[in-house]
Amino acid sequence: MNRDVRAAGRSPVGPVPASAGIGLRSAHHESLVRERPAVGWIEAHTENYFHDGGPQLLALERARALYPLSLHGVGLGLGSAAPIDREHLRRVKRAIDRFEPALVSEHACWGQSGGEHFNDLLPLPQNEEALRHLASRVREVQDVLGRQILVENLSSYLAFTSSQLTEWEFLSALVEESGCGLLLDVNNIFVNSVNLGLDPLKYIAGIPRAAVQEIHLAGHLRKQVGDRVLLIDDHGSAVCPDVWRLFETALRRFGPVPTLIEWDTDVPALDVLVAEAALADQYLERARELAA
Amino acid sequence: MNLPPEPSHLAQLQARFAAALRGPGHGGATTDPELIAGIVDDGLDPTARLNLYRNNTRAMFVGALERGYPVIVRRVGEGYFHRLAAEYRDAHPSRSGDLHWIGENFPAWLAVRLADTEYAWLADLARLEWACEEVLVAADVPAIAIEALGGVAPEALPGMRLQLQPALRCVSSAYPVWSVWRANQADQPGDAIAADRGAEHVIVTRADDRPLLHLRPEAEVRFVAALSAGAGLQQALENSCLPVDDLPQALAWLFQNGLVVALETPVPGEEE
Repeated sequence: MNRDVRAAGRSPVGPVPASAGIGLRSAHHESLVRERPAVGWIEAHTENYFHDGGPQLLALERARALYPLSLHGVGLGLGSAAPIDREHLRRVKRAIDRFEPALVSEHACWGQSGGEHFNDLLPLPQNEEALRHLASRVREVQDVLGRQILVENLSSYLAFTSSQLTEWEFLSALVEESGCGLLLDVNNIFVNSVNLGLDPLKYIAGIPRAAVQEIHLAGHLRKQVGDRVLLIDDHGSAVCPDVWRLFETALRRFGPVPTLIEWDTDVPALDVLVAEAALADQYLERARELAA
Repeated sequence: MNLPPEPSHLAQLQARFAAALRGPGHGGATTDPELIAGIVDDGLDPTARLNLYRNNTRAMFVGALERGYPVIVRRVGEGYFHRLAAEYRDAHPSRSGDLHWIGENFPAWLAVRLADTEYAWLADLARLEWACEEVLVAADVPAIAIEALGGVAPEALPGMRLQLQPALRCVSSAYPVWSVWRANQADQPGDAIAADRGAEHVIVTRADDRPLLHLRPEAEVRFVAALSAGAGLQQALENSCLPVDDLPQALAWLFQNGLVVALETPVPGEEE
């Protein structure tokens, strides 16, 4: 285990508390700073703050002066077989140096092949080869960034016949081999339980307790495909009752963990997000009482 | 039956998956039998599952392009823009994990694609929109005051270079791109502007959180463009055909708008 990478990191200005946070969307830059809603922390997409200057960076400066910050990358494609994009990684590091986030996360996915980027979170087979590759990439990134990163489980629309491990076995082994933490997206577990027929309770029970440092919650879309319903992870609506129940189960296993409400498409007014976060806080409060 | 993965199995799988995301053609179905056989078939056609990714990656690309070129979208309509976007993606697939750069080559591509058509002027409009994108993400540098000119020896003036704000772009067009841009902002009615209305020359800068478009005389925009490209004062005057009588006003305008960040004099021993 590569635990020393965590110690090598810069100390964050404010640690992310075990309460509910919201994803920072540019539509809310102004209202967040003006209204200062009672949310525990904020998460921003790292790539949105890659620039040399300008209003986006200024907006995040202002927001991060008020709230603990997490930076969440969507474009590094840790699992791409192609060599890692050093320029992209350099910009991730620059954003981290600039904003000093308490948490930094990426996805267990791939995103480019043959020089073309697909700007999507594409699925990996869960087998030894992909595991070795992903673990070595995570170690490489942690070395460059000088800190531990959290890796998020994906939502998937297909599974590969070459997979030899379950998703939770794959993620557990990744933690063991790379020293990363996990960002557990509970909505993605639910989406995959429907799309791929896996057991969400076994999934949660199979994830190592200490590895989970953040949870994501989001809404999804139901889509008819042939004679089946698949769930599309569009982050475009409120968290559904099934996902809240699964969240409760997750908190029983992992205890209260920083939990993010993600809402990236059809972004609603800020108070709608804040109300979702307040609901998540109620679950977290109950989890704290149970843990006490 | 599952075979143990070959050493390069992951790269092969991703290359096949990538090919399925790209083509064949638009709306075509994935037919790579090896890829399809590698996807679990639980009663739902693996091709349908793959197509979800295909559609998603296409929507991601088109959406990012649309966000960069809202005026073009409004002017040509969504349907035609989507067709252009699909062709553009074939020629210039995304080369970055950062969606922001997807539109970088769109103006140049459009110039070729629409050459000799009645829409040729849209390439200039695209240049203007991309200039707006660029100024919004450029570095913030403190401006210097016009008084700094007083410290430059007269003999150093012709070779002096003005270092301008990174958030500055010049767009010269034979078409009324500034008028079209303004008429097609979200809060405007989108009046049709005739493309033959004449040339417009624009300097794009940044004001807080939005681009600022300044309609300026042609020679002045060429002068600023020359300075921006690193020409000395004398050289920029010659290149742009800016009358020397207009020089004080052009310089004053740059300083007043906080667009000069440094003066560089080439004379040895001079302080920059």
